Amino acid sequence: MSSSAREPDDDAADAVTLQGVRAELRRVRAGLVRIEEGLAALERDGAAPAPRARTQRRPRPERYLRLLVDVYERGGRHGLDSGAFGALGAAHGYDRRGLGGFFRGEHAPLALVEGRVQLTPEGARLVDEHLRELSA
Amino acid sequence: MSRERALVDGDWLEARLGDPGLAILEVDERPLVYNLGHVPGAHCVDWRRDLQDPVARDVPSPEAIRALWRRVGVGPRTTVVLYGDMSNWYPCFALWLFELYGLDDVRLLDGGRQAWLAERRPLATDAPPPADRADAPQPRLRPELRAHWPDVAGAAAHGVQLLDVRTPGEYRGELLAEPGYPQELAQRPGHVPGARNLPWDACVAPDGRLRSDAELRALLDERGVRLDAPAITYCRIGERSAHTWFVLHELLGMSEVRNYDGSWTEWGSMVGMPVVLGPDPGEPLDAASLSLPGLTR
Repeated sequence: MSSSAREPDDDAADAVTLQGVRAELRRVRAGLVRIEEGLAALERDGAAPAPRARTQRRPRPERYLRLLVDVYERGGRHGLDSGAFGALGAAHGYDRRGLGGFFRGEHAPLALVEGRVQLTPEGARLVDEHLRELSA
Repeated sequence: MSRERALVDGDWLEARLGDPGLAILEVDERPLVYNLGHVPGAHCVDWRRDLQDPVARDVPSPEAIRALWRRVGVGPRTTVVLYGDMSNWYPCFALWLFELYGLDDVRLLDGGRQAWLAERRPLATDAPPPADRADAPQPRLRPELRAHWPDVAGAAAHGVQLLDVRTPGEYRGELLAEPGYPQELAQRPGHVPGARNLPWDACVAPDGRLRSDAELRALLDERGVRLDAPAITYCRIGERSAHTWFVLHELLGMSEVRNYDGSWTEWGSMVGMPVVLGPDPGEPLDAASLSLPGLTR
């Protein structure tokens, strides 16, 4: 799976529960914030064409973001070993192939550092964004 | 100080939840994780808001520290237990700061948030109300725990141990900061002349807990650190070096160790201050070449 791809079951799984609806509402609110930021940036920069901003990337599913938060909280400074990461991923419904997507691409949120799973700066950014959404 | 006094584990803390003689404080690099669940009764301490002066680059004023202690329930005989994310990096800064201001009984939960979660211990999501302890102690500064840049310059000139606890890349001058910390940069990369590199996280086991005393002593010996000689720790902004200060001062009982909280963002930004690049400590600072105050220490 691509790190930015939304899996087909995510929408269906989210939509049938109150928690899912709330998660969707948070995503919509976050999307509005991103649009406002994009508009403000365009107004500030004179509407010049610009590379796709970080904040304009595709929203990630709730479970995707929760897994990143878990890596942050449970990995500490050194990160997680592959066994612990696999177990966390399974708890969020990801198989091995799905977990591989977290490490691929220019904006991969996770990296293997000396054999341990750690957030990249992009992963840390997603964690910060998600924590802000949860606290809104 | 000793490991038994300075460190507590999850069993110790869980058995004392609700003890009015205890103030439990969570200090996170990302304070919002507190909202996901925290040790029941723990207050959130925000390092940006609570652990530094709001205007000047400095530690909080005594009045601000006393107001913080009052809010989080620190009385004259309170045992303070600190814990947090990222293997207790920021809790150690809070611990150093509280001891700098004279608090006697401050301890660290070994492994911090990471260990508490791994052990599946109880969590709460409701924040306790402000404690409003009118008997919060009056801060008493202990200047012997803190180094300012003239102390560091003096140490560099006279062979006092300087421990740079940043990553090897930062020490060698290849990076100004670890990736992800773009706000905390000095003007120049490198290290203080004579400083040895001892990355702070070498003292932390993969599970987030501190290594055993024997492991720590072996590590320090391997890096040429003498426990019977004075030392100054520094990093980029003084937080990571507070962790190493905790290891040296609180766990291993080094009496003359100070934390330089100005650290590399101060030293590496001062005009005319000598800087060493590369993997070696470099020559001691030539005090005669500088007419700076403090070099006679």
